[in-house]
Amino acid sequence: MSLKKCLEIIARYYPSFLLGIRTTLLVSLSGTLIGLLIGLLVGGIRAIRLDKTASRFARILKLFSDILARIYIEIFRGTPMMVQAVFIYYFIYTNVIRWDKMVAAVFVISINTGAYMAEIVRSGIQAVDPGQNEAARSLGMSSMQTMMSVVLPQAIRNAFPAIGNELIVNIKDSSVLLIISITELMFQSNSIAGTTYRFTETYFVTAMIYLIMTSISSIVLNMIEKRINNTKTSLPQSDTSFSSITIARKGVQHVSH
Amino acid sequence: MSLIEVKNVRKTFDGMTVLSDISFEVKQGEVVCLIGPSGSGKSTMLRCINLLEDIDEGSINVCGEEIGSIRDINAYRRKVGMVFQQFNLFSNMNVIDNCILAQVKVLKRSKEEARQTALQYLQQVGMIDFANASVSTLSGGQKQRVAIARALCMNPQILLFDEPTSALDPEMVGEVLSVIRDLADEDMTMIIVTHEMAFARDVADKVIFMDDGVVLEEGDPSQIFNHPKNERTKQFLSRILYENSAVQ
Repeated sequence: MSLKKCLEIIARYYPSFLLGIRTTLLVSLSGTLIGLLIGLLVGGIRAIRLDKTASRFARILKLFSDILARIYIEIFRGTPMMVQAVFIYYFIYTNVIRWDKMVAAVFVISINTGAYMAEIVRSGIQAVDPGQNEAARSLGMSSMQTMMSVVLPQAIRNAFPAIGNELIVNIKDSSVLLIISITELMFQSNSIAGTTYRFTETYFVTAMIYLIMTSISSIVLNMIEKRINNTKTSLPQSDTSFSSITIARKGVQHVSH
Repeated sequence: MSLIEVKNVRKTFDGMTVLSDISFEVKQGEVVCLIGPSGSGKSTMLRCINLLEDIDEGSINVCGEEIGSIRDINAYRRKVGMVFQQFNLFSNMNVIDNCILAQVKVLKRSKEEARQTALQYLQQVGMIDFANASVSTLSGGQKQRVAIARALCMNPQILLFDEPTSALDPEMVGEVLSVIRDLADEDMTMIIVTHEMAFARDVADKVIFMDDGVVLEEGDPSQIFNHPKNERTKQFLSRILYENSAVQ
């Protein structure tokens, strides 16, 4: 392998590589985000624990959605994404609608990620101290209010490293989507290698590009994580709060005298 | 009239009886201290009153209403504040947001009104200078004082304290007890589960001694602490008082 050849390949084929990078990032970023939304919904439903006041209807609904969620998670974690991609793409294409490959790619990576995210979110929710839930309920907050304002923000904070990990996995694993011939980086690399017959050099460049993309993602994710964990003050102290402090102080002084 | 009436309450966990035939009353403005050895069911009793646990038999009446048959549990809970041993401050918020959240979500107060109320009670517990501090930077005693302010923001009719000083370093116990003492002076109705005997003697209108899920003795503090009738109460108090004097 010669580095000179690598540089030649980059110089000659960089537009193809760039298109590949763009597609890979587009598919993996949107797939991770949509997957997170699916995970919040499915994981959230899985983590709900009904109390004694729940109606019979709620209980049946919960049981039913639990079973559906389990089936979804088992299927998409238990089969390779490459197989999911070809099967879903061709199944929908021949039976339902002649859909765009890019849409299919984002769809597949989203529901695949959603299955993993559901488990990440569920364990994140379950790792939140039950005392937080009890405190919120003891103040009269409903279970939905408690989930949205208290439990979920903490669960996401706890699970953030695992959520970020999914993005990095998706940047790499979107390479299997070449099976439905979208122009992601691996697909582009195959075409370049096929034209130049320089397999070693081409795939070395490809590997380096993946490594750069995942490294940058790691750095960005770490920065976001630091910010999330560093919530010293969420409310800026406005003028009104200063004046109200003095009012409150005066008020109490009057009472105490 | 009694604000809280507990009658013949029985409670089991997986077949194990943790409360059997518990009865007592709490009048408006009264401070009741529940004392007794660990595992005697004091905290469980408190949690039953706030419907965090449900009872197997008997009844609990609060403000003339049997709480087992209440449909809107959330509406009931806003009348009954609870302070926990482990504080349970919302760790994703700063001090004042902890006090504001439920006011806005449950009482539907405006943000500004909730903020004013929060500041007022933070002032009362001596935590106003920490209004914008992150919860994780506070000491245990400070956290507990914020937790009390958070409960007060809902203007509860009754406050339940579940061993409010048990998780604190010894030098922080005083600041929390003095906040509770001030509330007692304002005639707040309170049930306090505590191991602080000197405090119970000082602040309580009535002391209830529980052991092994049973109320063994109840009476005014001077009677319970100076002339306990029950042998088990005597034993418990002498051991606790001996340990306390050994420390000092």
